[in-house]
Amino acid sequence: MGSAGTVSTKARKDPSPLGSGANAGVIRFGSTTVKLSNLNKVLYPTAGFTKGDMIAYYLGMADFILPHLKGRKLTRKRYPDGVDKLFFFEKNCPSYHPEWVATSRVDSAKRENGLHYCVVENKATLAWLANLAAIEFHTLLSKGEDVTRPTYMVFDLDPGAPATMLDCIRIGFRLKEMMSGFGVECLAKTSGGKGLHIYVPLNTPVTFDQTKSFAHAVARVLEKDDPKSVVSAMKKNLRDGKVFVDWSQNDEHKTTCCVYSLRARERPTVSTPVTWDELANAAKKKNADALIFEAPNVLKRVEKLGDLFAPVLKMKQKLPAL
Amino acid sequence: MARRAIWSGSISFGLVNIPIKMYTATREHEIRFNMLHDQDRARLRRKLVSESTGKEVHPEHIIKGYEFAKNQYVVVQKEELESCAPEKSKAIEITDFVNLAEIGPIYYEKPYYLAPQSAPAGKPYRLLVEAMNKSQKVGIAKMVMHEKEHLVALRPLGDALCLEMMKFADEVVGLDEIDGIPTDVKVGERELKAAIQLVESLSTKFDPEKYHDEYRDCVMKLIHRKAKGEEIHIAPAADKKVGRATDLMAALEASLAQAKSGASSSAANGQGRRRRKSA
Repeated sequence: MGSAGTVSTKARKDPSPLGSGANAGVIRFGSTTVKLSNLNKVLYPTAGFTKGDMIAYYLGMADFILPHLKGRKLTRKRYPDGVDKLFFFEKNCPSYHPEWVATSRVDSAKRENGLHYCVVENKATLAWLANLAAIEFHTLLSKGEDVTRPTYMVFDLDPGAPATMLDCIRIGFRLKEMMSGFGVECLAKTSGGKGLHIYVPLNTPVTFDQTKSFAHAVARVLEKDDPKSVVSAMKKNLRDGKVFVDWSQNDEHKTTCCVYSLRARERPTVSTPVTWDELANAAKKKNADALIFEAPNVLKRVEKLGDLFAPVLKMKQKLPAL
Repeated sequence: MARRAIWSGSISFGLVNIPIKMYTATREHEIRFNMLHDQDRARLRRKLVSESTGKEVHPEHIIKGYEFAKNQYVVVQKEELESCAPEKSKAIEITDFVNLAEIGPIYYEKPYYLAPQSAPAGKPYRLLVEAMNKSQKVGIAKMVMHEKEHLVALRPLGDALCLEMMKFADEVVGLDEIDGIPTDVKVGERELKAAIQLVESLSTKFDPEKYHDEYRDCVMKLIHRKAKGEEIHIAPAADKKVGRATDLMAALEASLAQAKSGASSSAANGQGRRRRKSA
């Protein structure tokens, strides 16, 4: 289903279903049709960003985001009435999902029949989920059926006010250099909010037990090295003015915000890959705002830079055997 | 496998009399443990012991007494108890027929199946089932079983009759006895819409097969594994982990120290070593 979506002429005259002002329509991907509805519904009131804008963003990004979604069990954060209203996490693929939506089962302590995650394998599924006002896409760190094997290790650097993104960058570099001492490379993306996500591509046999204890040790060493700036413990009240190095997402059951996912914040910001040079420049100029990317910027950015996060899918690295 | 009846009697309504047998419709799946002596695993038994002599009293010498005041008992014989419900003791007499939907689930206690005692009872049994199916009504009756009077509902279940043991009205706790249930809290229309949307997104057909007692399954698995002689360790070897973590942290600290001394400038200007090991 690689071809771009085309619109059923019966449903609409305009060849573009999105941005033409029509509130509903049908979009075709090969032989698959997806009904789109309430396209003019404003999901981000401050920015006037509508559901149609969101679907256009995800479809425009399809070539870049799909490789990161394929084969991965997906949790959606849905905002049926916009980012300032009630939301819910949805793990199970709803029972009314079309038959062409791929699902993948995992055992669950809470559900006898297990959880059936949706897996986004193509544009149609992406459009279908976006139409359900699934703003945020969070994926498991494992790929395919082996849910005990992560394909990367992740650190979520989260600043507790008055700490900022600039503090996250400082700690991010420290983490990067600690890892490069073992010949292991890291990549960074913005959280789309205030923080920074550091990814360590693995793509080699490893278990969550290994990545989790390794990540925990990394977080504790960063904390020990600079206890005034870094905290490795979950407790919220410890975070004031510090960067929380969240190592705990390296877990079979936990998800991390997928690269290029929109975030449900005041404006339609995106979890965007950034180069270490960009991070260093932002730090040098003390300009954290340079690292805020909204949906339209990101579309332009990938045209120019391609997928900075491609190595996360391809680069084979081993956790140092210590 | 045919099940054994736990009681027999007869249903009566109007002039019709239907001799029936009663079967349990549910089974307990609770895991029952026996008490053993920790020294030699000998089975332990309870004994009924007299408070006055300290000696064991055997069943044939046990009678019933009601404590009407502290340490003062009225002794009641079995025959005397039966005299309270002489003719009811074997009858399920239907007095009313009501709409099934009118009975709140809170009143149901335990279901049983009823089957005709003999072939001739089959016809009136079938008659009652069909009449209730057609009229969409269920019968309300009282019966005495195990020295207790029960309120029951008789309802058709396919071709069979199901007897639902019910609570008496005074056995159900009123909501007025419960504090803190919100009645005058306003909810916004949009919030309500979103909540309804959430409910609808999780809506599905009720499928009892979907739900299992996972705690029980886990305990049974544990028991089977132990029965097969497998050793089961609960606590992980904590010491080993701590040791490994310490080594790991030491190595990470060394790496960080080296990065700081050797390449302190690279962090500031962002020109970190590029040692890509791309596949």
